[in-house]
Amino acid sequence: MEMSVQNITLNQEEVIEEFSHFSDWEDKYEYLIDLGKALPEFDPKYKTEFHLVKGCQSRVWLHAEVSDGRLYLSADSDTVITKGIIALLIRVLHGQKLSDIYNADLYFIEKIGLKAHLSPTRANGLASMISHIKSYAKHSPPKEDSGETPDAQQQAMIDAIKEVYDPEIPVDIWELGLIYSLTIDAQGNVNVTMTLTSPACPVAESLPMEVQEKLLALPFVKDVELSLVWDPAWSKDRMTDVARMALDMF
Amino acid sequence: MIDKTIQTSPGWIDLESIRNEFPILSRQVNGQPMIYLDNAASSQKPNRVLAAMEQYYTHSHANVHRGVHTLSQEATELFENSRKKIARYIGAPSEREVIFTKGTTESINLIAYTFGYSQLSEGDEIILSEMEHHSNIVPWQIVCKNKGASIRVIPIRDDGTLDIEWLSNNISDKTKLVSVAHVSNTLGTINPVKDIIRIAHGHQVPVMLDGAQAAPHMAINVKELDADFYAFSSHKMYGPTGMGILYGKASWLDLLPPWHGGGEMIKEVTWKETTFNSLPFKFEAGTPDIAGAIGLAAACDFLDQLDVSDIAAHEHTLLAACTKGMVSLPGLRPIGTAPEKAGVFSFVIEGLHPYDIGTILDQQGVEVRTGHHCTQPLMDRFAIPGTVRASFAAYNTLEEVEKLISATQKAIKILS
Ligand SMILES: Cc1ncc(COP(=O)(O)O)c(C=O)c1O
Repeated sequence: MEMSVQNITLNQEEVIEEFSHFSDWEDKYEYLIDLGKALPEFDPKYKTEFHLVKGCQSRVWLHAEVSDGRLYLSADSDTVITKGIIALLIRVLHGQKLSDIYNADLYFIEKIGLKAHLSPTRANGLASMISHIKSYAKHSPPKEDSGETPDAQQQAMIDAIKEVYDPEIPVDIWELGLIYSLTIDAQGNVNVTMTLTSPACPVAESLPMEVQEKLLALPFVKDVELSLVWDPAWSKDRMTDVARMALDMF
Repeated sequence: MIDKTIQTSPGWIDLESIRNEFPILSRQVNGQPMIYLDNAASSQKPNRVLAAMEQYYTHSHANVHRGVHTLSQEATELFENSRKKIARYIGAPSEREVIFTKGTTESINLIAYTFGYSQLSEGDEIILSEMEHHSNIVPWQIVCKNKGASIRVIPIRDDGTLDIEWLSNNISDKTKLVSVAHVSNTLGTINPVKDIIRIAHGHQVPVMLDGAQAAPHMAINVKELDADFYAFSSHKMYGPTGMGILYGKASWLDLLPPWHGGGEMIKEVTWKETTFNSLPFKFEAGTPDIAGAIGLAAACDFLDQLDVSDIAAHEHTLLAACTKGMVSLPGLRPIGTAPEKAGVFSFVIEGLHPYDIGTILDQQGVEVRTGHHCTQPLMDRFAIPGTVRASFAAYNTLEEVEKLISATQKAIKILS
């Protein structure tokens, strides 16, 4: 473990060293753009809404896989500068141990003078990309000994989902009835089927990602398979009494 | 250093003395002299606006309309004199018709709610245009949804001009209001608002104009325009943020119900019944932005003293030079090529993302806006995700335009 924290640090130092050779911003940006272009092609099957990270100026798609306690990343963006920074992040974090990624202090971005790109106000998706990577990393299977019984697990999953709110309605999405099914197998693989209040609600597009994040953050969850469905369509009847009460519908 | 970059445009205005009034213009960005070309989003502030606000806070601050004491009297006088000055600036027949708000957005919301809830019924229509800012779309969507009314949209042509004929052909008994931008923030198009008002009034339909982008760039005369409602923001016309104006014909404003309730807007309050104050106070609940009003009045003085039509002529010179230089760059396509334009140049470059262009321009000290500019339906109309937009103000120079062009050229080189 000590070893691989060092790996992340070493990777960062290497990048900082490389960038220290650029005396002007032009060379730096040209190099960054070349790094982005050299990134392995992103599997088009992951270029979906589900893998899209929030950001309204530019778009970022992120796919993460866990194997043997390490996180493997691939990503893409529609802007070349964002993509260059993604290439650097992947270079530093790819294949590192989950706990190390979760604890990593990504100081290199500031050191090479690109910190402004991580500001959420840039709306380029990078800030959310890092928080997504960290939240993937937070779940660290195998978790054979979580000691939780299936029912406790179910309750913990529901509690986690209850932290997610529809942006337009002050009621959590569990009470709203957006979750159609929620199961977990013995290996910690979760299956969720959910819907949104309306297909036309652009702000709600981030909800499935949030649900996935919340579930992955649970220690006993290994993987989450989420399906977004429109059939049956959501209607007000699906709300729990608590939700109706909160919305004054009685 | 900056002084050397000043190039006086053919005899219109004294750029050097104007620039000296804006302390922020001498700062640097990323180690380069700053070239501020995001004026359509918000302009910078001249010393006299800052000084007027500081003078008020250091000498005369108190709440307005509330006290017999000297300070409150002074503050009230400054505040109401500001209203008079602004009323004169826009040619409003009476200062009773000038309502202080916090910006164009609030001004439009005020009318959307008060007009919408009192005048719209199921099946009614209001007419907007395809180039509207979200703030002249969303309030109407909310109100129309609630009232069962619908929104119809004047289409635009490929050059970014409005298809006025559509309006003549589609305005009907169902139409209750037309609300359009005087000048488009994304395209720069100056709309033929006089024609729009003539057509609408021919059907007894009132017209609201979103003047956010017009007020900084041209002389506004609401009486001559015969606009029923006119909205604009102080911060885009050299004044402070958090301040805006709603002009409305007294005949309309007297008819519409109050919106926000609270202090100042009442005559008498009892548990049984409350009676409301007269114009303009009926629409100004709570303590207003007194310093903001004073700052905006100082900004009107600034525009008056320079003469806004000279500013317009200067900005036109900048726009022409910008358009000429930029369209010669490889792959560059201007968005918005109407014959009548205010100082806005929006563009896309084949194969390059606006975000990347904006980033490389910023590295060179050139501050432009990228993205959809709060006009997503317009972006859909042109099937683009966004544009890069340079927008000019009185203090911009031809040399800055040259720098924009060479900086864009460099961005193309780095990014391709
Ligand atoms: C045409 C137009 N309308 C409305 C607005 C909204 O102005 P504000 O944000 O000052 O309320 C803007 C400003 O971006 C604008 O350009």
